[in-house]
Amino acid sequence: MNKLIVEICIGTSCHLLGAQDLIETIQELPEAERARVEFQGVTCLKSCGKGPNVRINGVTIPSVTPQQLIDIIRDNLFK
Amino acid sequence: MSQVTEVVKLRRKVLTETARFTFEGKLQEKIQQIPKTVVTEDGPRYRCCVHKERAVLHDRINVALSQPIGSSIEESAARALTGEMADVPIIQVLPEACDKCPIDKFIVTDACRNCLAHNCIASCPKKAIMVVQNRAYIDKTKCVECGLCKRSCAYGAIIEISRPCERACDLQAITAGNDRKAVIDYRKCVQCGACKISCPFGAISDRSMIVQVIQKLLGPKRVYALVAPAIVGQFGPRVTSSQVIKALKAIGFYDVIEVATGADIVTLEETREFAGRMAGSTDFMTTSCCPAFVGLIEKHLPELKGNVSTTVSPMVAIGKVVKSRDPEAVIVFIGPCVAKKAEALQNQAVIDYVLTFEELAAMFVGANINIAEIPAEACASNASRDGHVFARAGGVLNAVINAAQEIAPEVTILPHRCEGLGNCKNALQHIREGKIEANFFEGMACVGGCVGGPGTLSDFRVTAKLVDNYAASLEIKTAPANPKAKEEIEKGHHLHR
Repeated sequence: MNKLIVEICIGTSCHLLGAQDLIETIQELPEAERARVEFQGVTCLKSCGKGPNVRINGVTIPSVTPQQLIDIIRDNLFK
Repeated sequence: MSQVTEVVKLRRKVLTETARFTFEGKLQEKIQQIPKTVVTEDGPRYRCCVHKERAVLHDRINVALSQPIGSSIEESAARALTGEMADVPIIQVLPEACDKCPIDKFIVTDACRNCLAHNCIASCPKKAIMVVQNRAYIDKTKCVECGLCKRSCAYGAIIEISRPCERACDLQAITAGNDRKAVIDYRKCVQCGACKISCPFGAISDRSMIVQVIQKLLGPKRVYALVAPAIVGQFGPRVTSSQVIKALKAIGFYDVIEVATGADIVTLEETREFAGRMAGSTDFMTTSCCPAFVGLIEKHLPELKGNVSTTVSPMVAIGKVVKSRDPEAVIVFIGPCVAKKAEALQNQAVIDYVLTFEELAAMFVGANINIAEIPAEACASNASRDGHVFARAGGVLNAVINAAQEIAPEVTILPHRCEGLGNCKNALQHIREGKIEANFFEGMACVGGCVGGPGTLSDFRVTAKLVDNYAASLEIKTAPANPKAKEEIEKGHHLHR
């Protein structure tokens, strides 16, 4: 099965606005979901100031909270 | 600090925009935009309306500029740009932001069964409890908040509610004022910043010196960054010191100095002082590098003042080294700590400004610098493993014990340490009463030590591990093995308070 690639911006602006919390959220996903997600750190998604930014399936999503990230990942995994 | 809540984001956005406009040289013209760009008409809404949010932002901007709360932000910007800092406390309550949390301390919950025993009524010394609508009711006009009812209820149906700021402050320095807004008693406050972290409304803040520092960076003087060892991992676990140093130089710092070298100097000096005191009449000595811990003793246990090491903190020690080399230097300490801002005010001849890691990150973003995109390089440290480990709780003890083995093998160290001001206070009382046998005490105001400070960007457990890993990789292990630290001590800097 193809893994869902989740790119999280770890640039300074996104870091300041909580990117680390998103990375922890992914690491703490239930085993079954974690196995199907591949996390990649990227240095900029060109949307600084609206962070933390996440890119999934080529779409950049700004101002993502940990709960939103879980919802987005589940929407993509189970659609 | 780990969780970046909406409150934290707001504070960081204000700092970032302030830094951005200052770097652009347009703070004066654009300051009025900050309240409009940080919160917009379309939300998201945090408070009743956009007007309230903007009023709060005015308080936040004044604090970010180190100007009195309530001033016009344009006038504040003008003063900050000239380098002026108002003579106001470091930690302040933002009156507009404080939500006047209710102070009904004891509340009867749905768990009350209106039982037959009525232990609550029987236990209440003020006869403040009666039964209304089949449930216990506390008459607030009679209640003296003693808590006996809570303890007596077999169902645990009476709960105690306290304000987050009050609960966070181990020294009871913050209370509800007459208008129910929080008030800080500065005779008790040691500016540790615990209340700032705890308030869910972000109503307590430390004043920032970012504008004053940026003005110096843009000016002709040589500005030195003294970076605390807790920096490891603050910009993400993958970001290395070499990237941070390059970023600091890119925004105008002339040189970057490790405070861990200051820690080595302090270790040598403090070990010598300890050995001297043990040969004399002192029964125990405490560390002096945490300014909030020193404040705890000065304000709450003044009878123990004589037991505090007179050795200066690593910040002041290394500051003296740099100032003696370059008397014209502008010295900026960058660390995880809010209390250091107050310590710097007491050492103005040595330390000019203090920034937190959070403020530094806001400055980088304001200067359009993305550390993650700076190429990493190998980077040597002038300090020892033990100097770097000062960043986490237990580090100072560890360093002094290791140093004593080499330079004062005759002394026996009975170590004890605590994190958190309440714990420190209890332990010190126990040591004094002889209930804890110790002759050397390390006190840290923040849980986890400096890595747990209120100005950090990463979780303290993660940072503590990264600090240990980094320190373990260093060649020099202990302070006595660091030739640079010895050399500086031999120069005869005045290293005592």
